[in-house]
Amino acid sequence: MEILRVENLSKTYGTGEARVEALRQVSFSMERGEFGAVVGVSGSGKSTLLHCIGGLDKADAGKVFISGRDLFEMGEDERTIFRRQNIGFIFQSFHLIPELNVEQNITFPLLLDYKKPDEKKVEEMLKVLGLTERRKHLPGQLSGGQQQRVAIGRALITRPALVLADEPTGNLDSGSSQDVMELLCKASRYYQQTVLMITHNMNLTSYADRVFRVADGRLCELGGDAQ
Amino acid sequence: MKHYLDLIKFSAKQHKKQNRMTKLCIVLAVFLVSVIFGMADMEMRSQMIQAVKTDGSWHAAFVVNEEQGAILLARPEVESAARYGALNYRLKDGYQIEGTETGVGGFDKEFQEMIPDAEVIAGTFPDKPDEAVMNENIKARLGVQIGDTIHMTTPWGNEKEYHITGLVKNTALTAELDAFCIFLNTDGFSELYEEQAAGEAEELYFVKFRRFCNIQKTIDEITVQLGLKEGQVRQNVKVLALMIQSRDSYMMQFYFVAAALAMLVVIAGILMITASMNSSIARRTEFFGMLRCLGAVKGQVIRYVQREALEWCRIAIPAGVAAGVVVVWGVCGLLRFLSPGLFEGLPVFGVSFMGIGAGIIVGFLTVFLAAGSPAKQAARVSPLTAVSGNAGTVHAVKRTADTRFFKVDTALGIHHAAGSKKNFLLVSGSFAFSIILFLAFSTAIDFMHHAINPLRPSAPDIRVNLEDGSNQIPAQLAKELEKAPGVKRVFGRGYAGLTMPDGRQITAVSYGKYQFQWAEESMLEGSLKDASEGKGVLFVSQEEDTPDVGSHIKVLAGGKERDISVAGIIGGVPDMTDTAADMMFCQEDLFRELTGEKGYAVLDIQLQRNARDVQVQEIRQIIERACGDGIIFSDKRIKNQEARGASYSMAVFMYGFLAVIALIGFFNIINCIAMSVSARIKEYGAMRAIGMSTGQLERMVVGETLTYAFSGAGFGCALGLPLNWLMFDSLVTSRWKEAWSIPGWELAAAAAVMAVSVLLAVSGPARQLKDMIVVDIIR
Repeated sequence: MEILRVENLSKTYGTGEARVEALRQVSFSMERGEFGAVVGVSGSGKSTLLHCIGGLDKADAGKVFISGRDLFEMGEDERTIFRRQNIGFIFQSFHLIPELNVEQNITFPLLLDYKKPDEKKVEEMLKVLGLTERRKHLPGQLSGGQQQRVAIGRALITRPALVLADEPTGNLDSGSSQDVMELLCKASRYYQQTVLMITHNMNLTSYADRVFRVADGRLCELGGDAQ
Repeated sequence: MKHYLDLIKFSAKQHKKQNRMTKLCIVLAVFLVSVIFGMADMEMRSQMIQAVKTDGSWHAAFVVNEEQGAILLARPEVESAARYGALNYRLKDGYQIEGTETGVGGFDKEFQEMIPDAEVIAGTFPDKPDEAVMNENIKARLGVQIGDTIHMTTPWGNEKEYHITGLVKNTALTAELDAFCIFLNTDGFSELYEEQAAGEAEELYFVKFRRFCNIQKTIDEITVQLGLKEGQVRQNVKVLALMIQSRDSYMMQFYFVAAALAMLVVIAGILMITASMNSSIARRTEFFGMLRCLGAVKGQVIRYVQREALEWCRIAIPAGVAAGVVVVWGVCGLLRFLSPGLFEGLPVFGVSFMGIGAGIIVGFLTVFLAAGSPAKQAARVSPLTAVSGNAGTVHAVKRTADTRFFKVDTALGIHHAAGSKKNFLLVSGSFAFSIILFLAFSTAIDFMHHAINPLRPSAPDIRVNLEDGSNQIPAQLAKELEKAPGVKRVFGRGYAGLTMPDGRQITAVSYGKYQFQWAEESMLEGSLKDASEGKGVLFVSQEEDTPDVGSHIKVLAGGKERDISVAGIIGGVPDMTDTAADMMFCQEDLFRELTGEKGYAVLDIQLQRNARDVQVQEIRQIIERACGDGIIFSDKRIKNQEARGASYSMAVFMYGFLAVIALIGFFNIINCIAMSVSARIKEYGAMRAIGMSTGQLERMVVGETLTYAFSGAGFGCALGLPLNWLMFDSLVTSRWKEAWSIPGWELAAAAAVMAVSVLLAVSGPARQLKDMIVVDIIR
């Protein structure tokens, strides 16, 4: 089942001599449960691609369909609610809410929907993340690896169809990086969630089903037929 | 770039928006302080102008004999002195010119410099004992000119002849009493005085002391030196108080209150600037860490922060002071427009050095001192902080937000406000401070209402009644006068005693359309319309014996018993507070029907703003033609102008002060919230990325703002109400014995200002959050 479809996505920054084509006619799609990795040098357009797919940034042209819904056809508020219910975000610098403890941070997307979190699911998530003992700790009291695990929990708690991870191991040591990657693999294999991850580290592409490279705004699939 | 401090210029270009906020804050604080001190300065000047006009510019007066007078004049502190004496100031003693009681004053020429009312406006001051200056009433009514001779009879039957050498203006009192008045020189006065009190040789010396002299100490020394008793020394309390030279216990309390309020305003300014600078530095912790990382020593970071603060001052302080000066000009212009005669001495473009000085000192010192603490804070940032990317932009979080009772957005907002005790106390403390300041200053308004009686809309400029008090002023005269040039409106009333069947007396007072209109605001119950149509009468509310509306009273009128309906009850009647108990107010036709009286006992005339003296004389002639000579013509224009001027001046400044204080609170709330949102913008960006809607972000900011507002209001009332009571006790209760009560309208006004501030405080950041580009923030 197709979860993500990107059609002719283009994005340009600046004008005149400062004009940069961050994305040029990017098209690809991903099925349910697939794990994709996007690689590329700095400034190649990886993050722009992820932000456009996540609805954080608007493309100049092209379309993004998630679970069949056109993201750019939605109004701002509708897109925001769609994002929190259908897309999980994981950032390099975690972006946890410093005033909320581990449990509250994980359930934050549910709380934004004014839903009472299912305690069983939260327990299960904490267990999967290995954070049961730390559930009442504030982000400031956690290590980088633990903070990223909380961020992963937050991204997965709504069981979104698509998880977008922007350099999720960029700020972590190798031990923590491996934990994070295993969790993302689990999301893809066990929960059948589609994961698209940006990374600099070619070693991490070994976890992915598909690997894309972005260079000068163009996307190609390594060993595949995406363009 | 030649020096590391040149970085400030480049940094300023990059952070224009954030710096603008801090600069705006300094401008506001300096503006508010310079406006408050400038207005206080101008208020003191305008009060001094009024005080000198009404009471004179003398400082003290001594009742001494000639020998003591010589000693007094020889003292080095005395700048000028003049002898003064008065006869027949009650207008009852029998000094008369052409049958009219005449007040007689005698003084040295120097006295004119101390009392503007004594100034000769035409002709010259009398040099010889048989010369005199006359007041405008004599000139107008007797047609006497300078150079003519007048004759005055004394109570002992002697006739004195005086050559008129000059003219003085009517004073408020002589105009109101329609009195004749002549002024002699001291020799002429002594001759006249000896006739009344042979042998007594004590005179009243008015004294003006030199500048910078300690007046109270000098008065004490003079009292001891001349062996004077308590009644022999008088002080011009108002002028001395305005020179801050009074030792009057009430004035001492007043000084204390003024000093306390000035301190509060300065503290408010300091708090605003400090909060803004703290926030500005906190936002850039990472930047300062980077400076340290690149090798800047702590001292260099401190110098950087201080120099940057001084750069802000270079523009912000002059801008704040300039804005303050413009507002003070506006206030002075307003006063001159409202009361041109009284405040012509007040410069429209007057510069208050006190206001400018206070603004500059508060601005400069505060910025410099306020820069010290954040500078140290900035210097403490470890280089590691910058490179690790862990530089906090807000206070470290120690407690978890409680999401049990409120939705997560509101709960986070509350936690943003209350999460850090220090921040919570600082911000809600500064909100509370505005309320405390407002409640403290509002007692000055209570003081004003007690100290000054504003002119009522019904106040006449001219009042006419007959010497015998009868209702013989023809009603037709009112209509005739209304057409006279310079007249705005004319209204009269008749008085007539009526007997009730039980023998009690009641006075019927006739009311015309204007009086009924003015009665509306004091109407307590019943129908004013019925009363004005003659269907019933009005009574004044009394503690006992107020008749019920709709009930009937019986009076004997024209030999018959008449049944009169009570149409309404009014709270009071101007000028009749004591006598209103036995009065009923009825429409003119009903009055005539009940009493048979066709005319008025009193005729009140209100003049147009630009009415001239010639027109007043014409009015007087019309009245004299209609009523004959037996009228009492009371010209209240000067008295009204003084009352109106005093009321305008105090009201403009007091309400001005209060408005500025409300502005302090207003800007403080808006600024605090804008700073808080600005400091958390990265966090908000992340929340938007995760899926928080703009509505939820707004609710979060509202939650934060309301937490500060409610807690600030709570603290403010808890401290402000006792302070309000204390100041009310000092300013009002101690003088007018009025008991303190909870200041309802002040609290309502503070709440309204706070509500508007909260609304605006939220709307700015809400717009900012709505327009925020999430990608740029989370990058």
